[in-house]
Amino acid sequence: MPKDPFKTRLEIAKKKVLDKKNQRKLNPSSIGTAFKLSTELVSAVAVGTIIGFILDKTFDTKPWLILIFFFVGVVAGIMNVIKSAKNMQK
Amino acid sequence: MAANPMTQFEVYRIGPEIKIGAFDISFTNASLFMVISSLAILVIFNLGSKKNSLLPNKIQLLAEISYTFVSKMISDTAGSKAKPYFSFIFSLFMFVLFCNMFGMIPYTFTVTSHIIVTFVLAAFIFIAVTVIGFIKHGFGYLKLFVPSGVPIVLLPLIVIIEIISYLSRPISLSVRLFANMMAGHTMMKVFGGFVISLGVVGGWLPLSFSVALTGLEILVAFLQAYVFAILTCIYLNDALNLHH
Repeated sequence: MPKDPFKTRLEIAKKKVLDKKNQRKLNPSSIGTAFKLSTELVSAVAVGTIIGFILDKTFDTKPWLILIFFFVGVVAGIMNVIKSAKNMQK
Repeated sequence: MAANPMTQFEVYRIGPEIKIGAFDISFTNASLFMVISSLAILVIFNLGSKKNSLLPNKIQLLAEISYTFVSKMISDTAGSKAKPYFSFIFSLFMFVLFCNMFGMIPYTFTVTSHIIVTFVLAAFIFIAVTVIGFIKHGFGYLKLFVPSGVPIVLLPLIVIIEIISYLSRPISLSVRLFANMMAGHTMMKVFGGFVISLGVVGGWLPLSFSVALTGLEILVAFLQAYVFAILTCIYLNDALNLHH
C-alpha cells in the first residue's frame, strides 16, 4: 500500500518539532536556573533575620521582631522559589 | 606539604606593604590573578577583533562566538531595551568566567572563591539596577513592591515580603558563585589528599573521582559565570520593563 506523500512529510515535520522541543529541555540555561533555586530560599531568610536583628536593636524589643522577620523571610524565600520556578516553565 | 584543604584559599601579600590610612591596599595573590584574567581577556579580544577576515581564524572565531552568545542571552532575557548595557554584561561574564577558569589550573588562586569579591560584584549590580530603575521610571519603580490584585488587608505584609525578596538578590547572587567555587575546590583538594594517604593500593578510586570532579568543576565554572550574567539580565529586565 503506497503511503500518502503528504502524510509522510507531515510526520517528518512533526518529528522535527518534537526533536526541537526535547532539545530545549536539555539546554544549559535550564541547568543554570536550577542552580538558582537553593540559594534563593536561604538568602531571603538571612536578609529577613538581619532586618529583624537591626530593628530589634533600634527599638529595643529584643526577641520579638527577629522572630517575626525570620518567618517573613521564610515566606519571602518560598515566594522567590515559586517565582523562579514559574519563570523556568515559560 | 599543605594537608589542610583550606590553605589554597589563603590570601597573602606579594611585594611591599602599601597602606593608605587604616586600609591595607597591598598587592596580593588575589589581585595578581584578577590582573592576569583581565589581561587575558584584553589580549584575546584584541587579537580576535584586529583582523576582520571573512574566514575567521581560531581567536577571531572565539571572540565572535562569545559575542553572539552574550548578545543572544541579553536579547532573550531582557529584550531589546537592554542592548546599551551589552558591554557591561559582556565584561562581567568574561571576568567571572576567566577567574573561574584560571582557578582550574593547578597551583593557581581562585579569585571568585572569596565572598568579598563576589559580593562587591553583586552589590555593584544591585545598586546599578536600582539606580537605572529609578532613572527610567522615577518613583513608579516602587510599584515593583506592590503586586496588583492583592487585597488591601494583606498589602503591608506583601510589601514587606517583596522588599525582603528584593534585598536578598545581591546575597543570593554572591553566595551562589562563592559557595559553588569554594565547595568544588575544597572537594578536589580533599580527594587529592585521599590519593596520597591511601597510597598505590587504594588510591585509584579517589584518583578516578578526582578526574571526574575536575570535569564537573569546569562545567560548574562555566555555568556559574553564565548564571551570574543571566541573573544580571533578569534584574535589568525588571528595572527596564516594569510589569506588575
